[in-house]
Amino acid sequence: MTFFRKIGLALAFSPRMKALLLEALRIRSVWNSELVLIHVGGHGEDEEKLLSGLLAEVGVNKSELKVVWRKGKPADEILAACKSEKVDLLIAGALKKENLFQYYLGTVARKILRKADCSVLMFTNPSENPKTFQNLVVNAEDSLFVDDALHAACSIGVSDKSNWLHVVREIKMYGLTMSAAEQRSEDEYDALRHSLVKDEIDNVEKILQRIPHEGLKVNIKMVSGKSGFELVKFAQRKSADLLIVGAAQRRLSLFDRVFPHDLEYIFADLPCNLLIINPRNGNRKEESHG
Amino acid sequence: MVSLGHGDVVQLLIQLAIMLIAGRLMAELARKFKQPAVIGELLAGILLGPTVLGMINPDWFHALFPTPSGAGTVLTGMVQVAVVMLLFIAGLEVDLHIVWQQGRQAVFTSLIGLIIPFLIGFVFPYTFPNFFGIIEGQSQLTFGLFMGTAMAISALPVIVRILMDLNMFKSRIGLLVVASAMIDDVIGWMIFSVILGMIGKGSDMPFWNTALLTLAFAAVMLTVGRGLLNRVLPWVNRKLAWPGGVLSLSLALCFLAAAFTEFIGIHAIFGAFIMGVALGDSEHFSERAKEIVHQFINNIFAPLFFVSIGLRVNFFVNFDFLLTLTIVAIAFSGKIVGAGLGTRLGGFSWRESMAAGFGLNARGAMEIILGVIALENGLINEKVFVSLIIMALVTSMTSGPLMKWMLNKK
Repeated sequence: MTFFRKIGLALAFSPRMKALLLEALRIRSVWNSELVLIHVGGHGEDEEKLLSGLLAEVGVNKSELKVVWRKGKPADEILAACKSEKVDLLIAGALKKENLFQYYLGTVARKILRKADCSVLMFTNPSENPKTFQNLVVNAEDSLFVDDALHAACSIGVSDKSNWLHVVREIKMYGLTMSAAEQRSEDEYDALRHSLVKDEIDNVEKILQRIPHEGLKVNIKMVSGKSGFELVKFAQRKSADLLIVGAAQRRLSLFDRVFPHDLEYIFADLPCNLLIINPRNGNRKEESHG
Repeated sequence: MVSLGHGDVVQLLIQLAIMLIAGRLMAELARKFKQPAVIGELLAGILLGPTVLGMINPDWFHALFPTPSGAGTVLTGMVQVAVVMLLFIAGLEVDLHIVWQQGRQAVFTSLIGLIIPFLIGFVFPYTFPNFFGIIEGQSQLTFGLFMGTAMAISALPVIVRILMDLNMFKSRIGLLVVASAMIDDVIGWMIFSVILGMIGKGSDMPFWNTALLTLAFAAVMLTVGRGLLNRVLPWVNRKLAWPGGVLSLSLALCFLAAAFTEFIGIHAIFGAFIMGVALGDSEHFSERAKEIVHQFINNIFAPLFFVSIGLRVNFFVNFDFLLTLTIVAIAFSGKIVGAGLGTRLGGFSWRESMAAGFGLNARGAMEIILGVIALENGLINEKVFVSLIIMALVTSMTSGPLMKWMLNKK
């Protein structure tokens, strides 16, 4: 599997660091990747000791991985380290929910989610006994990274032998479409409603045909409304353990929190662990691709 | 509460029944020719009103729609409520998310597509006010500003229907046209509200006060107001009956916002429109709820409103060929050049840009509502009103075929 050749782990000496490291090690073994530990803060004997103790505890030799020590603003430094180390996937921990003040100012985890140029896997509840992802939800919204997100979801589902892969797709402007159909007969109106759903299911199936997912149970679900919000609700309803979405096509700003971007609905209340797919060759654009 | 007499009640119910039946029959006829319902409903009003029935048999017309009468007063009230509700659903149709997604391209298309028709629409009536039938004592500036706004506005539902018919609704150019029409709607109704505030009945607010109030109201409603709605709606969805709870609350909020803007000196329609935008943008206001609100208003109140237009104006007596031709020409040139240029600057081909211009040229129901309010507020006379209605019909009917022709052109 070639998805994530190099994995970065944002490591803070917090109570969850052991669990996060163990989760990262599981993912490293699944993808056979290199692992880089990134720590922002002091770098002295104490920190070296703490790290050595932690690695010994989890049974990892220091030579198996690289450690990057940085000083400065945590989010910025972590992302700069990812760039210089050419990290494909950054793993970090995040609180499920933040208060209104934190939401608008942005904490380290949310800043990473908003600004990262690589893929990000955010654990809301890392475990010291890491488990495979069994219930996956992936956003198949019509966007630049939809193929990559579905590809990643299928790969994880196959390698983790997941129970379910729920593929969620939005019917864009459903209300407006139906309201513009007022001049149709009852049969035509129903036919339009069905065709809206069918067209989108066909679109998803077309993408899935290109992606190997043998043995994986796939459920295609259509939603209408604010897709980010509906995605969160759906992931909660299905008790998902991993939500996979494509990255934003432009850098998210404060404006996207006032008039929420779909991803901001997810960041505001992480329903489960979150994987944002941002392929390195994806060239994030300043404007939408239309 | 004062109650209507027995005769008035019977008369009102007959009026409503006739208007709805005639509106529906003519809308069905329009449907046969693949035209929007509003065209049929307007024709129904013209047939029932002074233009046709009033000419052929004035006694029948006056027996059906006597003035003054208790029934007539109630009907006028219902029509006014219908306008407020129509603006509310126009607001619900605005999807800010689509607008942000389209980004700079939509801003180019909508702003240039708004500024150029606005300027052309302003300059001619301002320079030749008498030709355009300015009302005596009316400010040339206000008249010019109104005509500019009338040329700048677009009709989102007509555009969506055209794009759906052309199977282009979710295409790149389709989404751009929709997003641009949404921006045009928001800005257009803001400008119109400011103009109405300037000539407001009973309030002589200076221009800047009205403009600031309008902007402040929109900004507060779309931030704080929307935030409050996001707190209230989940509770409503959870605890109250569906869809009764959300329907009652949304219409109540629409009327409250309309009453508030009317009270502070901006027209009621603006409150209803912005409340529609704020509610429609809430993630807790479901698409299904939007659909129900649309159907309820579009099929009951919209026909009453559009049929009533034909009842109040004699289209035959007030038809001025030269004026109508001029207004239609200004409308076509301003919008097609403006929106076309804006789309081209946004990076689309000339062919696509012209198609977007033709698409955004449809004025439809929005222009008609604008015209009715302007007529009621003494901004325009009946001749200009009739010309604007004809312009709205011509632009709506030609928009689809012209767009198709342009896109199929080799």
